[in-house]
Amino acid sequence: MDINCILAAALPFEEKVSLSMTTLLTGFVVVFSVLLLLIVMIILLGKIVTAAQKKPKKKSETPTVTAPTVTQNTPVTSASDGIPEEIIAVIAAAVDSTFGAGKARITGIKKSRAAGGRSAWGQAGVMNNTRPF
Amino acid sequence: MDIINGFLEGVSGLLQNSGFVAIDWQNYVMIGISFILLYLAIKKEYEPLILLPLAFGMLLVNLCPGIMGAPKTEFVPELEYLSSHDIGTQSVQYAITEIGGERYYNVPEYGGLLYYLYQGVKMGIYPPLIFLGIGAMTDFGPLIANPKSFILGAAAQIGIFITFIGAIFLGFTAKEAGAIGIIGGADGPTAIFVTSKLAPDLLGPIAVAAYSYMALVPIIQPPIMKLLTTKKERSIKMEQLRPVSKLEKIIFPIVVTVLVALLLPDAAPLVGMLMLGNLMKESGVVDRIAKTAQNELMNIVTIFLGTTVGATAKGTVFLQLGTIKIIVLGLIAFGFGTAFGILFGKLMSVLDHGKTNPLIGSAGVSAVPMAARVSQKVGQMENPTNYLLMHAMGPNVAGVIGSAVAAGVLISLLG
Repeated sequence: MDINCILAAALPFEEKVSLSMTTLLTGFVVVFSVLLLLIVMIILLGKIVTAAQKKPKKKSETPTVTAPTVTQNTPVTSASDGIPEEIIAVIAAAVDSTFGAGKARITGIKKSRAAGGRSAWGQAGVMNNTRPF
Repeated sequence: MDIINGFLEGVSGLLQNSGFVAIDWQNYVMIGISFILLYLAIKKEYEPLILLPLAFGMLLVNLCPGIMGAPKTEFVPELEYLSSHDIGTQSVQYAITEIGGERYYNVPEYGGLLYYLYQGVKMGIYPPLIFLGIGAMTDFGPLIANPKSFILGAAAQIGIFITFIGAIFLGFTAKEAGAIGIIGGADGPTAIFVTSKLAPDLLGPIAVAAYSYMALVPIIQPPIMKLLTTKKERSIKMEQLRPVSKLEKIIFPIVVTVLVALLLPDAAPLVGMLMLGNLMKESGVVDRIAKTAQNELMNIVTIFLGTTVGATAKGTVFLQLGTIKIIVLGLIAFGFGTAFGILFGKLMSVLDHGKTNPLIGSAGVSAVPMAARVSQKVGQMENPTNYLLMHAMGPNVAGVIGSAVAAGVLISLLG
C-alpha cells in the first residue's frame, strides 16, 4: 500500500482528540497497573521465599565445605604451593557464591590430577557434550 | 541462422529480465541507503547483528524485487495445457476452475525466497522466538531485588503513547500511529511484532527507525539525562542490592507469565516466550535447550528476521514523506521515553530521601543492556567511584516487560 494513501486517511479533529486521549489514558493506566501488580507480587514472593528458607537453615549452622576438589590437608595461606593467588580468589568467590557469603570455610585447595589423560577443562567439555537429554 | 536467432533471442530475454530494466530510480536510491547501512554495521558496528542482514535484505529486494514476490496462480486453458504437456507420462494434479464453460488448470507459480521467510514476521513468529532467546540470556535478579524498578520501566513507556498522539495529528491512522509509537519502547522485536499486526506496510521504515535509535542510545540519551538532573542527583550512590535466591528466580517467570497472560492476553506471546526462556535458564535443568535458545535459535531467527524486514524496504514504499515523519516521530518517542524514565527516577529519589539515582530511570526504555550502560557511564562522569550498572539493569529488564505490556495494550485497543 502507498504511504500517501495511509496519510490521506484523516480523521475529524474531535475524533483525533478523543482517540488520542483514550489511548493515552488506557495505555498509562494498564501498563502501570500491570507493573504495580507485579511489584506487589514480587515483594510478597520475596518475603515468602525468605521466610521459607530461614526455617531449615536454623538446623544446620555454617556447613564446612568438603567438595571433591577441596581436599588438601595443608591450609592455604599463600601461593607458595603453586596455585596463584588469583585462582584462590576465584575459588573462594565461587564457594561464597554457592553457599552464601561467610557460610562456608575453605580448608585447603589441591590441584586435581587429570582424569583419563584430559585436563579438568577438557573433562568438563566432554561431560557437557555427552550429557544425555 | 536459427542458431544465431536463438542466441540473440536468449540474450535479449536475459537483458529484459535483468535488474537494469526491471528496477527504477527509487530502487537505486535504496541500494545507496543499503550501502550506507552496511557501512554503519561493519565499520561503526551499530547493532551489526541485525543491521547487517537488514541492510543486505534491503539491497537484495531493490536489486531483484521478485525475491519478495508473492506466489501466484496462472489459469491455463485445459486444452492448451494438455497440448503442451506429455500427459502420457505424468498426471495433472492441478485444481480446475470453470469460467464461461471453459475449464482452466490453476497452475501455481511459487513466490520469491524472502517471501516465504517473511511469513515468520508476518505471522508474528520471529519476535517471540527472539524474546525466548533474550529471556534465556537475561538475569532478572536486579529487578527481583529492587521491584520498584518496574515503575521506571513503566514510566519509560509513556513516550509510546505520547508519540501515538503526535502520529495521529500528523495524519496517520490509529493503527499506523500505534506502530510508530512503539518505536519509543526501544525494543526491536516488540516494534516488529506490533507493526506486523497493526501496519505491516510500514514495517521497513519502523524497523530501520527502531534499530537505528537503539544503536544511537549512547548519543541520544546523555543530553536528556543531563538536562533533567542536577549534578547532586547524578552523584547519588545507591545501596548494594540484596542477594536473590535461586527459588525466587525460578518462581519469577512463572508469576509474571500467569499475571500478564491473564490480564493482557495480547502480550502473552512476547512475555510468555521471554519468561519461558528465562525459566529454562534459571531452572538449570535444561541447560542444553537454554543454550540453544541463547545461541543457535536466536542467531537463526535473527538472520531471517533481519533479512526479511530489510526486504520490506522497497524504494516505492520507503522513499515517501511518511518515512521522514516516522523517523522524526521515532526520535520523539525515544526522547520522551528517556525523559519520563528520568522524571520518575527523580520522583522516586524524592520519595526515598535521595536513595535512588534518577539516572537509572533512563534505562527503562529497554535497549538491553546499552541503556543501562549509558546510566552507568553518565553516573561515573560525575563520580568515578559510582557503580550504577546493576541498579540500572532493574529498570532495563523491567522496560522489556513494560514495552511488551504496552504492545499488548496497543494491539488490544487498535488491532
